[in-house]
Amino acid sequence: MGKVSAKPVLFANSIPAQAPMDPEMTNSSASEAVAIGAAKRTPEVIARRVRGLSDRAIAWLFIAPTIVLLLAINVFPLIWTVYLSFTNYKANRAARGVEWVGLDNYRRVLTDSDIWHNMLVTGHFLLWTMTFQVLIGFGLAWLINKNFKGHGVWTTVILLPMMLSPAVVGNFWTFLYQPQIGLFNYIVGFFTGVDPSSFEMIGSVNLAPWAIVIVDTWMWTPYVMLICLAGLRSIPDYIYEAAEVDGAGPLRTFWSITLPMVLPFLMLAVLFRAIENFKMFDLVVELTSGGPGSVTELASINLKREAFEKWRTGLSSAFAIILFVTVFGAANIYVKALNRVKQR
Amino acid sequence: MANVSLRNIDKSFGETKAVRNVTFEVAKGEFLVLLGPTGAGKTTTLRLVAGLEKPDAGSVLIDGADVTSAAPASRDVAFVFQQYSLYPHLSVYDNLAFPLRSPARRMPEDEIRSRIEAVAGMLRIGGKLQNRSTKLSGGEMQRVAIGRALVRRPAIYLMDEPLSSLDAKLRADLRLELKRIQRDLGATILYVTHDQIEAMTMADRIGILSEGRLVQVGSPREIYADPDNVYVAARLGQPSINVLPLGALPVRSAPRTAYSVGVRTEHLDISRDGGPGANARLDWVEHLGDQNHLHIRLGDHRLTILAQPGTDLSAGEALRIEAANPLFFDEDGRRIR
Ligand SMILES: Nc1ncnc2c1ncn2[C@@H]1O[C@H](COP(=O)(O)OP(=O)(O)OP(=O)(O)O)[C@@H](O)[C@H]1O
Ligand SMILES: [Mg+2]
Repeated sequence: MGKVSAKPVLFANSIPAQAPMDPEMTNSSASEAVAIGAAKRTPEVIARRVRGLSDRAIAWLFIAPTIVLLLAINVFPLIWTVYLSFTNYKANRAARGVEWVGLDNYRRVLTDSDIWHNMLVTGHFLLWTMTFQVLIGFGLAWLINKNFKGHGVWTTVILLPMMLSPAVVGNFWTFLYQPQIGLFNYIVGFFTGVDPSSFEMIGSVNLAPWAIVIVDTWMWTPYVMLICLAGLRSIPDYIYEAAEVDGAGPLRTFWSITLPMVLPFLMLAVLFRAIENFKMFDLVVELTSGGPGSVTELASINLKREAFEKWRTGLSSAFAIILFVTVFGAANIYVKALNRVKQR
Repeated sequence: MANVSLRNIDKSFGETKAVRNVTFEVAKGEFLVLLGPTGAGKTTTLRLVAGLEKPDAGSVLIDGADVTSAAPASRDVAFVFQQYSLYPHLSVYDNLAFPLRSPARRMPEDEIRSRIEAVAGMLRIGGKLQNRSTKLSGGEMQRVAIGRALVRRPAIYLMDEPLSSLDAKLRADLRLELKRIQRDLGATILYVTHDQIEAMTMADRIGILSEGRLVQVGSPREIYADPDNVYVAARLGQPSINVLPLGALPVRSAPRTAYSVGVRTEHLDISRDGGPGANARLDWVEHLGDQNHLHIRLGDHRLTILAQPGTDLSAGEALRIEAANPLFFDEDGRRIR
């Protein structure tokens, strides 16, 4: 490290951006001046260490902390989880000897009727949130794309729920769902004539699965709407004009122009939302905590219980891996379909 | 096929008066070409006929029926857009089939297929039918756009510079092809172009637009030989007409109110003259391959004319030039007949 250089390589990349600011100087002399100035201002302690390092070495120096962090909090835990899923490890009794149990945990997860029940609950939740969010989100986007008066204000208002924290949303919807004082029950009562205090959205076995669907739809429809709106805005006017001249009515234009051209956007929105909802945890825990009984216990909620209440670390690792593979596989198939739609 | 007429049409976009008091009629089976510089209102005129714009004043009639406020779909017009406007998510075949698959038409699929194949063969895109319409060259897209109009038998075809992005040879071929189709079908076509050769060769009549105004309508021959004003005279002819102040050029007899003269090659008598009668000098001869242009200096003015076939004039020679039956224009550029 003894070599003293007039132009420390550390600053080599930052120079061209500054050079054009002085038109009098030529590029190279300007950059030299900047480099020398910067080198002079570098504290001696640092300067002594970086002198003589290659650009590549310095690049590595900069990204190393990030890589270390990623390895430590992402890659290592993943591999560790895979390992644990083959053992009977219990995190609350770490001192106990760890035994290799092979595929036992996987067998137990896949034959556990409670877990299958959780998967069904997750499936129900996914199916209906996606259906409602796609229909309502697309509908709203379609209306807003008509550029009616004040559509800017409406867009902002519609986007608000998405910006709230899921915990907050879950919490205040428990109030909206109150049979006696809740606004939701009041509005349903107002329009249907049913007595508002005669039904409990959260407390009832039949209604609770719909309660979480409604809240998630309320919160995330704006997101689907936003992406659909981007899709609708990407269709140029002249395409509609061509269709009009070609004799296509509003219905045919919608089915054979608007919908196919927005479809890739819509599918992308569904992909993002479905992955998010497969992992859904906070909102539902705040609302129902999986109850009553276990009618709203999503897979992720049970997973947390297995891991951190019952402390079955090995089993829950296997459960987590199974969920991960499911999402990953489904998403892959879906992305292939999405690409085919885009290729058309 | 039908006849289409525009009556006293006005159309403004904010401050821009795109079309001003335009009146003309395209007769049944007629090929009318609108010619004009960029921004003259050609596209706007076509859009008004198609119903994509509503006129501020005036009316549009198709076969005598007032369609001024009718929707485009109900007007039965086919439009070849300047920017192609293909459906990007559909194949070339489906693009061509789109207008035929309209539920009102109920055309059987095999008739659709045979029509598409006929049109595609003619436009030389038969091999591209299964391609996605975005994966085509500009010229191919343009031909698909023409094809999408030709598969139909509408009241009128509206074509907005449909040949502009084709190479010279294909353009010449399609020019003939379009003209032939128009004759065979007896199609009514309103056609927009910048290209005077297209205008001259295809048109039954030419309409000259300038700043939204229809300046003159007439047969190509009339527009060329008998223009109403300087502007129209300058639109046709290659090289374009030379307009000189009266007196710059010897003329046999000028009308009293004449202010300027317009001369084309055929209006000039040119002779080699080394003696005192010489009034001009040949600056240079421009060789363009199939033709030669002579650039002549006449006092303070320059003339560009077509070289007579077999000319042996060469640069630097002294000439005597005289105008025979030139076009005279008054102070406002109006023609004096
Ligand atoms: N939708 C619009 N909004 C505002 N101004 C417009 C619009 N469409 C056309 N114009 C204006 O109207 C005038 C005529 O336009 P038009 O498109 O008819 O010209 P054009 O003759 O087709 O020109 P080009 O040969 O370049 O295609 C132009 O000044 C243009 O700027
Ligand atoms: Mg135009």
